[in-house]
Amino acid sequence: MTKLHSSISDKKIGEHPLVEITATVNGRLVSRSVPNHYRLIDFVREELHLTGNKEGCGAGECGTCSMFVDGVLVKSCLMPVQKIMNATVETVDDLDLDAGRTVIQQAFHKCGSSQCGYCIPGMVMAATSLLRKMPNPDREQIKEGLGGNICRCTGYQKIIDAVEMARDVINIKIPDSSLNEDLLEPVMGARTPRLDAPGKVTGSVKYAADMVLPNMLHMSVLRSPHAYAKIISIDASEALAIPGVEVVLTSADVPGIDNFGVFIEDQPIMARDYVRYTGEAVAAVAAQTADLAIAATKLIKVQYEVLEGVFDPHLAIKDGAPQLHDFAKNNITKHTKIRKGDVEEGFKQADLIVEETYQTAKIEHAYLEPEAGLAYVESDGCVTVHSPSQNITHHRHALAKILGRPINKVRMIMSTVGGGFGGKEDMIYQGMLALAAIKSRRPVRYVFTREESFIASAKRHPFSIQYKMGLKKNGKIMATKMVMISDGGAYAMSTPGVMNKSAILGPGPYQLENVWVDAIGVYTNNTPSGAMRAFGAFQSEFATEAHLDLCAEKLKMDPIQLRMVNLMRDGATTHTRQKIDRVLAVDCLNAVVDLAGWDQGVPNRHGSDKESRKDIGQSGIRQSCTLGTHLKQGEKV
Amino acid sequence: MLTYDRYVVASSLAEVFDILDAHPASRILAGATDILPWARYGRAGDVHLASVIDISKVPEFKYIRQSGDDLSFGAMTTIADFQNNPVLREHAPVLAQCAVWFADDQIREQATVGGNVVNASPAGDSQPALLALNASVKLIRRENGSLQERSIPLADFIQGPGKTAMLPKELVLGFECDSMRACGSAYEKVGHRRSLVISTVCLAVIAKASSDKKKLADVRIGIGAVGPVPKRLVDLEKALIGKEITGELVHQIAEQASEFVNSRSRHEYRREVLVNFVERGIISAINQSGITVVRFGEEQICD
Repeated sequence: MTKLHSSISDKKIGEHPLVEITATVNGRLVSRSVPNHYRLIDFVREELHLTGNKEGCGAGECGTCSMFVDGVLVKSCLMPVQKIMNATVETVDDLDLDAGRTVIQQAFHKCGSSQCGYCIPGMVMAATSLLRKMPNPDREQIKEGLGGNICRCTGYQKIIDAVEMARDVINIKIPDSSLNEDLLEPVMGARTPRLDAPGKVTGSVKYAADMVLPNMLHMSVLRSPHAYAKIISIDASEALAIPGVEVVLTSADVPGIDNFGVFIEDQPIMARDYVRYTGEAVAAVAAQTADLAIAATKLIKVQYEVLEGVFDPHLAIKDGAPQLHDFAKNNITKHTKIRKGDVEEGFKQADLIVEETYQTAKIEHAYLEPEAGLAYVESDGCVTVHSPSQNITHHRHALAKILGRPINKVRMIMSTVGGGFGGKEDMIYQGMLALAAIKSRRPVRYVFTREESFIASAKRHPFSIQYKMGLKKNGKIMATKMVMISDGGAYAMSTPGVMNKSAILGPGPYQLENVWVDAIGVYTNNTPSGAMRAFGAFQSEFATEAHLDLCAEKLKMDPIQLRMVNLMRDGATTHTRQKIDRVLAVDCLNAVVDLAGWDQGVPNRHGSDKESRKDIGQSGIRQSCTLGTHLKQGEKV
Repeated sequence: MLTYDRYVVASSLAEVFDILDAHPASRILAGATDILPWARYGRAGDVHLASVIDISKVPEFKYIRQSGDDLSFGAMTTIADFQNNPVLREHAPVLAQCAVWFADDQIREQATVGGNVVNASPAGDSQPALLALNASVKLIRRENGSLQERSIPLADFIQGPGKTAMLPKELVLGFECDSMRACGSAYEKVGHRRSLVISTVCLAVIAKASSDKKKLADVRIGIGAVGPVPKRLVDLEKALIGKEITGELVHQIAEQASEFVNSRSRHEYRREVLVNFVERGIISAINQSGITVVRFGEEQICD
């Protein structure tokens, strides 16, 4: 392909003016020339390769990048690198000054305050900042001090516990030995040390975006601006003409059978002929620097013929709606049916019929680690992909087929997962990485921005659930009918499994003789829906439990009592005809009622002349969220 | 991503004007906490600027002075200074009350009052507090080699979302406001969560008691996030000044605040919140000022 020099003036595409930065970082004087658009986080991670602090959002919202500049904690993604000229920077990497973990890091380890670990370096920095400024904060002040940092999976309680423990050790209120690991006997009820915690509290564990290999290329992906369009042409010649751009990939470069999917193989690794949702990958660039890759991506010219899409699953299943995949009539991805007994007969025998429609929203997992991966080809021809995948075996099989290679020449390595919640089950970028590594014969790394993660990754299925239930006056459920329509988005991903689970678990742990469930997953031109915690059961069970509360109100019955009447007992048969010998549901509910101090009554008695409920805030009950501290009189924050 | 041809960390006001003369479209950058998130996908997208002037190291923008009833501070005063500077805490405690609700303690160290005002977001947190302090914006420009200063009341400076009365090549040097020493004050804010949240409603109140501690000698109520620009509730203030203060009077007057909700969304919610904020804020500020008053409908707790 010919190089285009005429359009490039003295300023080269993808190259930025350099700025010489001199600063003291973790006690060592550094002087480096970096692109002038670098932020402090870029300087520390990309130039100095200090990867303890992470980039979670790039917009100052999450705090994974918090570090000290001249002793003041800042969000390093909000600081142009020029601001650290001649300053002193402390990152989490050397917080312990090479003397082992700090008291705060040990307390985070001891309290089990690291799960995925991605937010923890930032949390440790925020806790360090707080205890430096305010040596003896109370719990509310700790919450306030960590207010700029988000955790998505550890849970704040353990993190706050750790800061309290560190505070008490530092103030010699409790002995240093409190930080020692518990003995492992007995395991039950002990704070079992997490083997990976030391690496997480110090930031030394490597996530995919932290990895570098010599001669590594950086990937950027061109994504569709249209929800539904036919791809007429893709012209990458200008991008390819830039020195340093090594590979431009489109679906035409895929050597094997270009389809993946956990249940239905309907998705190409880059859009093939059609784009079916906004944000779908269309082309990928691998270049010497991330700046070059991003600049080259913008030079790829795609000609689209925009088509009329369909965005509401109720419309998508109608005859005449745009047909998104040839094999899916009326855009139905999966229709799961459960039929037990005779619901119509059940409704006839019922004293009360209650009908309602429930809707749940599309939800983003928002794991703190945006998707990232690193791929390379081994000397024996084995293509290896490191990524925080939650489904590596499936990915390996899918990739072998896509790349047209034997399975023993494809290796997937699960890098440390910075939160997944089901959102990293689908292979939405590993294929592009593997192919770029094969084509370039060099390691290739791809790191999503937070925005890219939002637009390109799967979401929790939104459901619309039509509910009809028939009950006797004593609360016995005579028939349950649920018709659920769910927006699965442009590709199947986990939709078939989610439909099954929502149908199987939806009617709840109740002994029901007459059950009718339809769970219909539908293709639309929305962002694909995929796995997310509870895999569909969350949505359908929400409807069931909300509906039971509604029924309790109409029956003038205590909601717990209504559930007690209907809960499965030993020897029950489920709606899918599974016989269960032992059912602990009643014992479970009794235990919860005792612990919660449940105050019996019909749900709608609030606001009536009855006494208000007293079941909130008893001992043993976790306190609700609070707004943190206000400014106390005369207090210096 | 934000990219630039030139990024200069200026060391003096003269240097800033020199660069502005050479590159009139230069973008002024102070704390950078708003501009970096702005230049991302979903907002402005990738932005390329020819010239950026970082004024954070310019000493002329960094001052805090007080003399008699006058308080002034530079554009580079950070929100953390609102909390930590002893002069500001004594003479304008409402700024510290505002600061605890502003972003988070890390961003407060970088974010500046000048930036917050120049961005003129309808939900800018510092603005109701500055309005209650009767703040004027001190502007400076260089014409034919000589420095020209002018002052505009903050209420006139902010003209709409993102719009101010600033001229090309003009800079906000700082703010001049009333010392409100020994007055009561309150700041209220609600958003989706406690930290790092854009206000849905925010409010600042400053109250000064008469010498007999029975009436209000002065009261100022500033509101934000409920309309295109922040506002002072002058009519409500007038209705309170000089009157014998009771919980009932405050309650009646607070009810009138609902008509000032002029936002694009969530009117009903904002009206309810605003009315309650005004009432709670006034009661809190009045009690700090030395007048004892119990909120209407609440019992006085006697021990």
